[in-house]
Amino acid sequence: MNVEDVFSSRLRIKILKILVQLGELNVSEIARRLGVNYNMTRGHLKVLEDEGILQHKVFGRIHLYRFNEHSLKAKSIRNVIEVWEQNP
Amino acid sequence: MPEYRSVFRDETKLDITYVPNRLPHRDREFRLLMEFFSFILQFPGKMAQRVIITGDVGTGKTVLSQHFGADITHEANKFGINLRYVHVNCREYRGSLFLILHHAVSVFHPTFPRRGYSAEELLRILLQILDEENAYVILALDEFESLVEREGSEAVYKLTRLQEIRPNKPQRLSLVFILRSLRVIEQLDASTRSTLQSNIISLEKYSKRHLIDILNDRVALAFKPLAVPDDTISLVAELAFSEGGNARFGIELLWRAGKYADAENLDAVAPECVRKAVSSIIPTMRKSDLASLSFHEKLLLLGIARLFKESHKAYVSLVEAEQAYAIVCEEFGAEPHSHTQLWKHLQTLSAVGIVEAEVSSVGSGGRSTLIYLARIPILELEKELSALLVKEGA
Repeated sequence: MNVEDVFSSRLRIKILKILVQLGELNVSEIARRLGVNYNMTRGHLKVLEDEGILQHKVFGRIHLYRFNEHSLKAKSIRNVIEVWEQNP
Repeated sequence: MPEYRSVFRDETKLDITYVPNRLPHRDREFRLLMEFFSFILQFPGKMAQRVIITGDVGTGKTVLSQHFGADITHEANKFGINLRYVHVNCREYRGSLFLILHHAVSVFHPTFPRRGYSAEELLRILLQILDEENAYVILALDEFESLVEREGSEAVYKLTRLQEIRPNKPQRLSLVFILRSLRVIEQLDASTRSTLQSNIISLEKYSKRHLIDILNDRVALAFKPLAVPDDTISLVAELAFSEGGNARFGIELLWRAGKYADAENLDAVAPECVRKAVSSIIPTMRKSDLASLSFHEKLLLLGIARLFKESHKAYVSLVEAEQAYAIVCEEFGAEPHSHTQLWKHLQTLSAVGIVEAEVSSVGSGGRSTLIYLARIPILELEKELSALLVKEGA
């Protein structure tokens, strides 16, 4: 996916912001914070994971999402968001 | 602007959550605890341990366990072992196994959701996390009674037999059960009980001497030099001893007494600050107790109160009390009772809990009785007694 497509979604950027803030979170909680439904959240998480930006761990029925520690893209995005948030 | 003075150097050292580097009079128990878990450092995963720490309130159970936790984690790090000590107060988690386990999981995943699974699933999740991170946990269940009360044998059974659902896998979860009395263990069924009762560390009640050592340690950390005289420490220790050797009570009392000293802009924490502090913790002076004393018991108590008021000491001797009593008798036109009768009056005052009498063998003059005015601010006591005596005399 092109960079403009990945960042074309307001919700995806919100997801990234939430994960910069909290480290990791399960799908339902991300959905609750976004104010949208589970399936829509899942879809956006899948896009970000397919791009290698996020990764997730499964604990029973719980899926915890976080930034992919090994991805350069993830590091740069995290950096951009952090700088942005610190200098509003 | 007036200069703010304080007797404290760092009052956080008196906080209930503070874990000191040194635990006076608990060396043996600490070594024993380390010994029980030493194999974790040598053969991690080969065996899980279970230890029970029991003792009355304020005997140092929590602080012993936390101190041990910090030490063993540090040791494990040196060996390259990923060991976590997780201390949970079961009462704070309403005795719920689910919430307790959630706390343990949240050590590794702080935002782990609170809903959507059972305690058993959570236990499996905890083990999965430990396997993935090649980590070990010592889970200390403080106020374990609470868990047994709410969940009964079942929860304890799940915790102690969990290795049976994962044979041949590393044993990663060790347990420390912290409880006041072993009676709670009797409530468990026989098979659960048998998984627990192997290693028991019983903490004896602290003696007054022990309490003085503990308080001295804390005073050195929390107060400015010379801010707490020996007399004050001795009085606090006496009170903590009378509360069942409760060191926590003594430390809290010390903090409160320091606050009273600061409020009155004093340079040092006088014994009177302790009396005020203790009466703010437990309302011990009941007017009905005083009213029910005999005329001469009241006279003796008034004499003692005045002695304390004039001397600012933490304790007085019976001989001094007798002299002060004689003066009060003169004031109220009463014939003083004999020494033996006075001693009996003192026993009554002590039984009611207004004073505390202790036979001391210090010095060369043989044994003498020392009197502590434990929990009552002197001025309040003197005022109340004078009013009662005037009413009786009239």
